[in-house]
Amino acid sequence: MPFSLQLVEFGHLAAHLALAVALLQGLAPLLARATGIPALRRLSVSAAGVVFLLTTIGAAALIHAFVIGNFSVKYVAQHSNEALPLFYKVAALWGGHEGSLYLWVWVLTFFTLLVVWRGRREYPDHLPVILSVQGWLTVGFFGLILFLSNPFDRIFPAPAEGHDLNPLLQDPGMVIHPPMLYLGYVGFSVPFAFAITALLTNWKSELWSGLIRRWTLVAWGFLTTGIMLGGWWAYYELGWGGYWAWDPVENASFMPWLLGTALVHSITVQDRRRMLHTWNIFLVIATFSLSLLGTFLVRSGVLSSVHSFAVDPGRGAYILAFMVVVLGVSFGIFLVRGRYQQAEEAISSMWSREALFVWNNVVFTVACASVLLGTLMPLVADAFGHKITVGAPYFNLVLVPIFLLALALMGTGPLVPWRKANLERVGRRLAIPFSAGVSAALLLWFVFGNQYWVGPVGVGLVAFVLTTLGLDLNRSVRIRRAQLGEALPRAVLGTVLGNRRHYGGMVVHLGIAIIAVGIVGSGLFRSEKTITMAPGDVVEVGGERLRFDGVRQLPGPNYRSIQARVTIEGSGRAVYPERRTYLKQEQPMSETGIDSTPLRDVYVVMAESAGDGRWGMQVYVNPLVQFIWFGGFVIISGLALGLSRKRKPATESPARATA
Amino acid sequence: MRAFLLVCLLAVPAVVLADKVSEDPMERRMLDIARDLRCAVCQNQPVSESHAPLAQDMRAIIRDQLKTGKSPDEIKRYFVDRYGDYVLMKPATRGFGAIVWIGPVLLFVIIGIGGLVFLRRRLRTSLPAPVALSAEDRKRIDRARREDGGA
Repeated sequence: MPFSLQLVEFGHLAAHLALAVALLQGLAPLLARATGIPALRRLSVSAAGVVFLLTTIGAAALIHAFVIGNFSVKYVAQHSNEALPLFYKVAALWGGHEGSLYLWVWVLTFFTLLVVWRGRREYPDHLPVILSVQGWLTVGFFGLILFLSNPFDRIFPAPAEGHDLNPLLQDPGMVIHPPMLYLGYVGFSVPFAFAITALLTNWKSELWSGLIRRWTLVAWGFLTTGIMLGGWWAYYELGWGGYWAWDPVENASFMPWLLGTALVHSITVQDRRRMLHTWNIFLVIATFSLSLLGTFLVRSGVLSSVHSFAVDPGRGAYILAFMVVVLGVSFGIFLVRGRYQQAEEAISSMWSREALFVWNNVVFTVACASVLLGTLMPLVADAFGHKITVGAPYFNLVLVPIFLLALALMGTGPLVPWRKANLERVGRRLAIPFSAGVSAALLLWFVFGNQYWVGPVGVGLVAFVLTTLGLDLNRSVRIRRAQLGEALPRAVLGTVLGNRRHYGGMVVHLGIAIIAVGIVGSGLFRSEKTITMAPGDVVEVGGERLRFDGVRQLPGPNYRSIQARVTIEGSGRAVYPERRTYLKQEQPMSETGIDSTPLRDVYVVMAESAGDGRWGMQVYVNPLVQFIWFGGFVIISGLALGLSRKRKPATESPARATA
Repeated sequence: MRAFLLVCLLAVPAVVLADKVSEDPMERRMLDIARDLRCAVCQNQPVSESHAPLAQDMRAIIRDQLKTGKSPDEIKRYFVDRYGDYVLMKPATRGFGAIVWIGPVLLFVIIGIGGLVFLRRRLRTSLPAPVALSAEDRKRIDRARREDGGA
């Protein structure tokens, strides 16, 4: 066997060594205490670097095996073949169970390295304990990877050719979606490690809450990006006209997002008002636990059926045991030490921004718990021998009112001051947004007639939020102009850049409002038709006239395709949906044809041939879908603004002097 | 290669002939029912979207029953009798399904009361004396603030 095919064994060895060194990283502070040699604590710092290096060697070896087509590696043979484009060969690393877990642990070791990089200067005394927590997580994952789902496993004799990467995954959206999600999941491991360290070492929350705020926002941002990309991929690739199906796999990523959203808000309160310390530690632990749960729900196969969990009993038992240990140990520590700091400031009034933040946390915790209930109840019922389904109609019915409540809070919060609100003044401030909301709702009611109540209420709340945001900015800009006499654009820029934390958050809220518009538009005002068309036929749907022109054969790198042309009369543009047959797979796949304008998407999916050149077609006109993707972009921009730092005062002051 | 590139020869005359096709209203009614039923062999997919043979059969049954004049509820009951509550995308309000329906309401009440109790307790505790920071801690906070960009 040529040497290049054996290179993967170096990676395998490196992964085993990484497990051993990670064990050392986890043990170091314990060893230091047991032996009474404090210097041993430092071992975990050096170990973290070595673990990342070794894990990277393992990943490089796997990617190399994919690129050269080393089918003696079972995982490569299952998820790649010669004809697969290079881009997808590399991405196939996370195309299956074993590789996904490897990516997870690789990201974990990378984040650990970042913690070391910042921590040597900023929190050297606590660094070994933080690294120890992350070391144990690394050990847990490597144990699962190396002993129960090993991507380095070989098969002899090696097959001449591999299977294929699942065609659904051969899409750029699906290539970036899992890493983004994992950056989010694993990102929450850093606040988790800080929280556990704080509990163990009585670390004063003033000293660490600022440090985890940035990590939490970054993790939340990656998770948001991952979820948005997942929705975008589902919309373009799956061909049912929607982007969110409340599938358990989607819920698995949505639960940590919901609790993470509660966390990014309550951390602000902790930072600004010195309260909610204990609750925040609880939230951090719970959010990370849900990240773990999400990874395992998706990866264990338990979702398709409780019984598929038992197909590989070792793996299932390990995952369950790992979850129990992580939950047991972290909540155990929390229960024993969680009340260590009760020196919280009191709340001066029920009508204050901090009180509204508490209600935000209530709303998002209820949302998360409801999704958890709906996602896990079928598994619980199954374990008792009953089979039930909890599908999209249920989740829409339960979660939509909760989200509307969240929108209402989102519009009110920024207008209510910290500490104590003057109710009369807040009432005056809310008058304009409130009337804007009511007008928008009534307008929608009159334009579209009798309709599902969520439409007008949703649109009204969005108008309320947008007006609030506008008024909030307007107030600050006016004060600034009165004081500094600046021109309007300069004053707006100065206001926003002068308080990046606040306006970063407001831009994120703007993004959420834009997404809400998109969801109302596409969810409630969608038109669809399922028809059979012969070339030349025209169908009318949602005010658009679509003409089926015919089909043609189209060869691809690893598939054959039949492509249809459907012209949108009016604009004259065309969409090209496809039926693809991948050479390694039996089932033909549909590629959607989409024509997007800011106000609506024309979305065409080819179904089966009906003979005589006639084809089954599903045509949708989805209003305002583009708002959703644009809103996602706005959210990430807001986050970047909130996380950006002002230039150093040294460079800023001369600029101001000349201005 | 070029020979099979275009099959859409009809494209130009088609504009003139433009035959308008409309959706079979029966098909729409069928899909509206199929959306609430789960394809029993699929992973969390409604019958309306699945390509599985079973889903096709189920769609055919819905069509037949619609033709005999059955109401949507009767058709759904027909499937529940055969496959159990499992086929309903929106769980029935009995057994484990009932828990799923009561759950969110209970959660809202419990967590909401929790929030209220928390706020009330925090309100009643008079403002505690500010925690006296040691000189060393004060220095660390100042240092941390400075390094955080003065925020």
